[in-house]
Amino acid sequence: MRLILVAVSALFLMIAGGMAAQAHHSFAVHYIPDKEIDVTGVVKDFHFANPHGVIFFEVVGDDGQPVTWKGETNSPNLLKRRGWTNKSLQPGDKITVHGWPARDGKPMVRVGYVVKADGTKLIGQSSAEGIKGLD
Amino acid sequence: MQGRISKSATGAALAALITVTGAFALPASAEVPRKDGHPDLSGFYNFTRIDPDAPAARKLISEVPEGAVFMKDGGAYEFPPNEYGGLKPKPDVLAEAQKWSPQEELKVENICKKPSIIYAIQGPFPMEITQGRDMIVMQMEYFDMVRVIFMDGRGHPDEDAPHTLLGHSIGHWEGDELVVDTTHLEPATITNNGLNHSEDAHLVERFRLSDDGQTLYSTEYIEDPTNLENTGYRLMAWKKHPGEHIYPYECDPFAYQEDE
Repeated sequence: MRLILVAVSALFLMIAGGMAAQAHHSFAVHYIPDKEIDVTGVVKDFHFANPHGVIFFEVVGDDGQPVTWKGETNSPNLLKRRGWTNKSLQPGDKITVHGWPARDGKPMVRVGYVVKADGTKLIGQSSAEGIKGLD
Repeated sequence: MQGRISKSATGAALAALITVTGAFALPASAEVPRKDGHPDLSGFYNFTRIDPDAPAARKLISEVPEGAVFMKDGGAYEFPPNEYGGLKPKPDVLAEAQKWSPQEELKVENICKKPSIIYAIQGPFPMEITQGRDMIVMQMEYFDMVRVIFMDGRGHPDEDAPHTLLGHSIGHWEGDELVVDTTHLEPATITNNGLNHSEDAHLVERFRLSDDGQTLYSTEYIEDPTNLENTGYRLMAWKKHPGEHIYPYECDPFAYQEDE
């Protein structure tokens, strides 16, 4: 599995500490704010709907078997103002999702940003202070 | 106590500040639009960084009833499991809160449950205010909620009147501050992590524009003697963005379900 666990950084702590309550359920209760990961896979589906967008993407595990990950974005309403559309990700797109892992160990990540194969970077997670530090 | 600012501590600091600077004597400003003799709060606002030292914020904080704990989840922060921002739930309420499971929220039947205005007002979503003399409307993007604040001098209805997630809100002006009093709230979350308020919850909000008229600050003071042993408040800030508008929210309960 092309999953890279990245060491906690001061920068990340600064970003995570300021993350906003983006919708009905809380970041803080679902995700680990002081760990960041990169997960690479291929988009299966993309739901651009409130309360949160969800990227379903297939990741090849260490055993060679595919695992479907969920990348949870903040509210599409906020992403629309940041340039995302419901066509920002298409099935078959190869992506790397950078974000924060689920507390329960399930294959789920809160999306900080997504990098597509052509280098396009989609910023997802923001705070009331904006996206400072993410790019 | 990290993350908790007691009202008394804040008050002491503010009192010192007043002594030195006369900080609460806010200067009148021609930049604040006015309507019917009051500041005109009308406009589109989006959440912005909260500066607790801004004069308008300090003024609002100084008016929070003594003893209320500061809840730092206004806007940019959320509490982790089992942290309630200094609020002290009654024992039975705490026991219920501790049973709460985050995974339950992701179920189709729960995912689009609306919060009450107590939680919704602090979420990082825009709102648009339309101010009339007898009524102020707050169109909130979060869950497509639309608040009506009666400014015509009426009181709250009888105790037995229906309780809703928006509650019943009446407002009045105190100088340049809009004060909104809300009762008749349907039980719902306070902190989005298991702690709920009862139908006896009472919310008092104060709204004040910055001197340049570009930032709207507010506090929400929460008391709920049925569920809480103490009281608390949040501080919020919104930046005015002329020309923008509210988007529909239209929550989709199947957002987390992979297509077959």
